[in-house]
Amino acid sequence: MSPAAAGAASSGEAPPSRPKRELYTIPASSSWFRWDDIHETERSALPEFFGGPGGNSYGTASRNPRIYREYRDYIINKYREDPARRLTFTEVRKALVGDATLLRKLFGFLDSSGLINFSATSPRPVAQQPGLDAVLEAPVGLQVTPRPQVSYSVEERFGGGTGENVFRLPPLSSYVDVFGEWAPGKGPICAFCGVECKDGKVETLEDGFKVCSTCCKTNSDNEEANKCAGDKKESADNHASSAWTDAETLLLLEGVLKHGDDWDLITQHVRTKNKLECIARLIQLPFGEHMLGAINGKSDSRFQTSQTTDGKTNHYIVKDTSSQSNEMVDGMQIDGEQDGADKLVEEQPSKRQRLSSSIDVTGSLMEQLALLTTATSLDVVAAAAAASIKALGSENPQAKNAFHLSEKEYQGKTFSSNHIHESECNVGDQEGEMHGQTVPDKKLQKKYISTAYQVRAAVGTAVGVAAARAKMLVDQEEREIELLLASIIETQLRKIQYKIKHFEELELIMDQEYNTIQQIKESLINEWLKVLEQAFQAGVPIQRDEVLTKLFLNKSTP
Amino acid sequence: MKTVSLSAPTRSSTVKFRMPTRDNLVPIRVDVEVDGQRYRDAFTWNPRDPDSEIISFAKRTAKDLKLPASFVPQMLQSIQGQLAEFRSYEGQEMQIKEKIMPLKIDLRVNNTLVRDQFLWDIGNLDSDPEEFARTLCDDLNITDPEVGPAIAVSIREQLYEIASQSVSAMREAKVSKKRRAPEFASNSKAMNNAVDMFKYFGSKGSVIRKRKEWYLYAPVVDVVPNEEVVVVDTTEGA
Repeated sequence: MSPAAAGAASSGEAPPSRPKRELYTIPASSSWFRWDDIHETERSALPEFFGGPGGNSYGTASRNPRIYREYRDYIINKYREDPARRLTFTEVRKALVGDATLLRKLFGFLDSSGLINFSATSPRPVAQQPGLDAVLEAPVGLQVTPRPQVSYSVEERFGGGTGENVFRLPPLSSYVDVFGEWAPGKGPICAFCGVECKDGKVETLEDGFKVCSTCCKTNSDNEEANKCAGDKKESADNHASSAWTDAETLLLLEGVLKHGDDWDLITQHVRTKNKLECIARLIQLPFGEHMLGAINGKSDSRFQTSQTTDGKTNHYIVKDTSSQSNEMVDGMQIDGEQDGADKLVEEQPSKRQRLSSSIDVTGSLMEQLALLTTATSLDVVAAAAAASIKALGSENPQAKNAFHLSEKEYQGKTFSSNHIHESECNVGDQEGEMHGQTVPDKKLQKKYISTAYQVRAAVGTAVGVAAARAKMLVDQEEREIELLLASIIETQLRKIQYKIKHFEELELIMDQEYNTIQQIKESLINEWLKVLEQAFQAGVPIQRDEVLTKLFLNKSTP
Repeated sequence: MKTVSLSAPTRSSTVKFRMPTRDNLVPIRVDVEVDGQRYRDAFTWNPRDPDSEIISFAKRTAKDLKLPASFVPQMLQSIQGQLAEFRSYEGQEMQIKEKIMPLKIDLRVNNTLVRDQFLWDIGNLDSDPEEFARTLCDDLNITDPEVGPAIAVSIREQLYEIASQSVSAMREAKVSKKRRAPEFASNSKAMNNAVDMFKYFGSKGSVIRKRKEWYLYAPVVDVVPNEEVVVVDTTEGA
């Protein structure tokens, strides 16, 4: 806030008849304000009065700059009668003649730009009754929080072959939220994986969830979204009259189970809380989404297992669907026919990719990678796979071993096109699992290691393929851009040439005209001289005309 | 630029009929009585919503309020009737011009009595009664959450009536033009309520209202204790 601005504003405010000047400290953001002028900010904020866009009724009786100033000055003066008090629109409204909508907009503008209510001490009336606010906008209370990626990470980590355990229902991760720190004799429970964290490596998120260190990493992407949700939740907490005890929450859950969505009965069941609080509480409990996610995961797993068991029938489905799809699937079909059941198993993931047409948000990371990989041609995939395996190998000799092992198996089975198999093995999301099944039991230990590296290689491949594809697209685009630019430049040049030609013609015409004008001028002067001569000979005095002649001669000679 | 807009101000224009507010929402008032039980409600409805929404709305409301199912067809009929009336106006032309009318609010919602009067520009298609009502409730510390929507619906009802009058006035004007009859006769009726623009907005007038008139345009809010509500109810019924 520059004091100069304050002085200017207040000096303008005090009428000259009044000797005493009042000094107001106004916010720096509104230092543009002048009593005797209308600033650009005002014009753009309220175009109705000034005929800007949307202000099509400029010049009508009730909307013009004069009326605007009258409104504005009245409201500001009214506020300055008692700057400590918050001026409300309803109060101003009774003293002003005019459209309530327009006045409210004007008032809102003055309020938000800091011309009024800048030093009001009484809080906004809205803040005093957040309950009312919340009720007026009830649907806002319902919010969808992003689904934590528990199931993905679980699937990825244990995808090798733990079987049924992978898809067990995640425990109610709302435990911490429901019962707080109460659980006696136990460490805090991770909100994401549901495992008890005994090592004490616990991170607490904004919204009070405890997360174990492993989950915290996977969750870091989601943290931003969680934070927002947490903020909202906090604000919702503000107007809950009192905290919920464990017993009350239990009662609420019981009530929900018993009475469905009949909130009156539920409220009676809980007794100590009212209807709104009950609803808000239930919305806050996050386990609903976890349950849903768990159920999805389960059905997913069933789908997969059914596929593996009756692979034969699925094989024909692949055939049918692949008739219009690309060579990738064709190649795999050939292999499948050649190598029998084992290969069929390997095809399952690809089939699933075929069936799910677009990248699904709920699909696992590996599925998305696989989908990415199928986007380009085989050779590219093979090259990328080779590159990623090579890189992995040089990074860690153990990885080399793993791949060596799995590749040997392949060589035993494949007949010719090695690279196709490599790519295949990197494409599917459940690849690791499949390989694990083909490896004999005595290699169980190595299996996990190789699976892990294969997953990494798959990731590398997918990323590599995506990069290659992107590069291709970029090249194409660049060429296109160059072409277009060249054509643009050419047209511009042609245009300029046309213009030059045009101007040359114009110049020629100009020159010709100039010449004729010169000739006319000369003849005029000659005639004039003749007239003068004759007049001189005749002895007529021509004093007046001399000046004219001089002027004329002066002008024409240079 | 300015001279152009000054020389040709669009003082009035005709548009297809709609609510003269930003959101084209129709006020609906339902008053149904079945077997001695009475259901009264007021809300706004978007006429663009499919009609199938109405039945689900009616069912849902009846369920929430624990009304017998016999209410549903009556509610349905009432809402559909009002929407049909609104749609019968749609397609006709309506004159949009600056016209500032006083609107009056006189409501009793639960325990709150609200009486108010203010000016509203019928030609301002950017107006928002809901926002206005919310500001009013915030400014006056009205805690009952049902008051705001009730005020908004009341405003919308009055705007709806004025707009439908404007439609019929336009129709009459067209007819009378054909007959070459004087035009203002039909118009004056609708206009007699409007604010005299020249008096306040002319060069001599002032938009600052006289202090002795303030009380007319200031909102009055009373919170009636529970016992008295019954009394008010009975007097209303009489």
